[in-house]
Amino acid sequence: MRVLLQSAASGILIGGVYALVGIGLTIIYGVMRVINFAHGELLMIGMYLTWILFTSFGVDPFLSIAITIPAMFVFGAVLQKVLINRVLNALPQNQILLTIGLGLVLSNLVMLIYTSDYKIITTRYSSSTVNLAGIPISAPLAISLVITSAITAILYLFLLKTDTGQAIRATAQDRDAAQLMGINVKRMSVLAFGIGTALAGTAGALVSPTYYIFPQVGSAFTLKAFVIVVLGGMGSVIGATLGGIIIGVTESLAAVYVSSGMKEVFVYVLFLLVLLFKPAGLLGRSRV
Amino acid sequence: MNGAARLRPLAEIRGKPRGFAATGMVAVLLVTAGLVAFPRMVASPYALHLMILFFLSVAMGESWNIIGGYCGQYSVGHAAYFGVGSYATLMLLQYRHVAPWWGVWVAIVAALIVSLVIGSICFRLRGPYFVLASIAVAEIIRLIVLNWKQFTNGAEGILLVDLPPLEFGGRVLTDWLSKTPFYYLSLVLGLTTLLVNYVVEHSKLGYCLQAIREDQDAAHSLGISPPFYKNVALAISAVFTALCGVFYGLYIGFIDPASVLAVDLSVQMVLICIIGGIATNFGPVVGALVLVPLSEALRANLLSKLLFSVGLVKESSRLGGFLKENLAHAHVLIYGILVVVVILFMPDGVLGFAKKLIAKAARPLSAEPSPLIGGIDGPA
Repeated sequence: MRVLLQSAASGILIGGVYALVGIGLTIIYGVMRVINFAHGELLMIGMYLTWILFTSFGVDPFLSIAITIPAMFVFGAVLQKVLINRVLNALPQNQILLTIGLGLVLSNLVMLIYTSDYKIITTRYSSSTVNLAGIPISAPLAISLVITSAITAILYLFLLKTDTGQAIRATAQDRDAAQLMGINVKRMSVLAFGIGTALAGTAGALVSPTYYIFPQVGSAFTLKAFVIVVLGGMGSVIGATLGGIIIGVTESLAAVYVSSGMKEVFVYVLFLLVLLFKPAGLLGRSRV
Repeated sequence: MNGAARLRPLAEIRGKPRGFAATGMVAVLLVTAGLVAFPRMVASPYALHLMILFFLSVAMGESWNIIGGYCGQYSVGHAAYFGVGSYATLMLLQYRHVAPWWGVWVAIVAALIVSLVIGSICFRLRGPYFVLASIAVAEIIRLIVLNWKQFTNGAEGILLVDLPPLEFGGRVLTDWLSKTPFYYLSLVLGLTTLLVNYVVEHSKLGYCLQAIREDQDAAHSLGISPPFYKNVALAISAVFTALCGVFYGLYIGFIDPASVLAVDLSVQMVLICIIGGIATNFGPVVGALVLVPLSEALRANLLSKLLFSVGLVKESSRLGGFLKENLAHAHVLIYGILVVVVILFMPDGVLGFAKKLIAKAARPLSAEPSPLIGGIDGPA
């Protein structure tokens, strides 16, 4: 029972970070209908940014998000302007291939510059734990859950309450209607891609104290982000949060009760089951 | 460019000129004859190795083209068939001492079974959902192979110790010691997949596949069963991809999940087609012609040598040493840059782009196509 609770707790913690990755992907998809296959690589860039800040300037990984968020936002906005914007009306296959190509470029550029060696960030709290009702949980993951929750809450408020947030949601609901209402949908697209990239980068920064950092780390996150988004329903922010937690817990339980090497198999099987039996996701509108 | 409107010959307007098929056939036969004679003229094992890689890439691209190009189902999980084929043959050879020419049949059956399972799951989904599902299934297979250590030797992979000589009627045909037999094997594989592509494209099957690609619902309402034809196309594609995997395993002599089951490999198969020109017979050939020399040039460090010889970067400088050290490992970077460039600037691939350029050059700029002809046949 104790093991069960402990693994469920760590699943929820890592699920919070997954949720952040998923929300970024779902916002991009919602506004532009582009599936971003380079999402994991954007997370990887966030990890390296954190690592550089930590090793060169001694910035704490959790504090570094103050730099990572704006930097990744600008990076994402530029990517959208230069690349993604050109294929908004292209075949979905071509959009997918473009982002796959972008992912390859990013991961291989990083490999070219920093080699494929594994990097780690060791802070004094890296392996410390905190006690929560008798269950020991990893301190860095606990901190990251707090930050994730704060960011998610701010994002909700932004999307629900501000004019820009409402414009983004309107664009996601109906691009043409939004444009007719005088919303600058092009700017919303840039904004959405920037926010998505910033969220992926933040997730990268938050997991960097507990993960190995290497150029190919992104691809596993890309696929997982899709699983999360499809699980929750494409385009649904609340769904992505829920999906992230479900995937985190599934993975954590599978790692404890089956084997850590096979944990992803369970995630993918769950993904296929959802695709087959509830393709609109748990909270999404029917689309398929 | 005399400015006068020039009438094009009727044959050109209606389609390809009559002599085209014959000329094309002669050209293909001549090139084939040249390729057959190649090992007699060139003794360098490295040149043969490059040609083998080229033929293998062609075969991989042509195999993917059947499901991805003609049927429009962008499978990004084709490494599954490649890996299943190579693992089936090499495991039988290594652990049960079954000769590969028997093992290859097991590989084919295994690939067929896997393709039917994947097809029955993934073909219920469309568009991006299909792409995601195909990746997920391939990843499941990779993770199972990686973790089922007693059966597949896990991440350590399988090293082929010795390949039994090929005997026929008591006579040894080849002992596989030189690269020449592999050269001919890969040539046959490349030509066969090219032929299969041609036959599929010009058969009823091919027309049905293209109808499904253009508009699945319309095709369905005309009595074409999308699941049936998609599964047939996937099965053909899977069998030839598995044959490529078998060849790879036997030729390289070592397989592990990272080399024959990775997502990168699936992406590479897609890229060969996209870069050359999707849903065309010769697209994958052009794609392989672009990709293989480029990635090999990077691997052999030709690019950094070029930079040094031009004088852009000094070899002794810090950047020079860095480039020399690392550029060789980044050949995948070229794939990424190429695919971005191709998607943005030539969405029909290099072949389609070249055709467009030729068409532009052939037609006088000022000569507007007559509205009647242009209206019926569309732009040439």
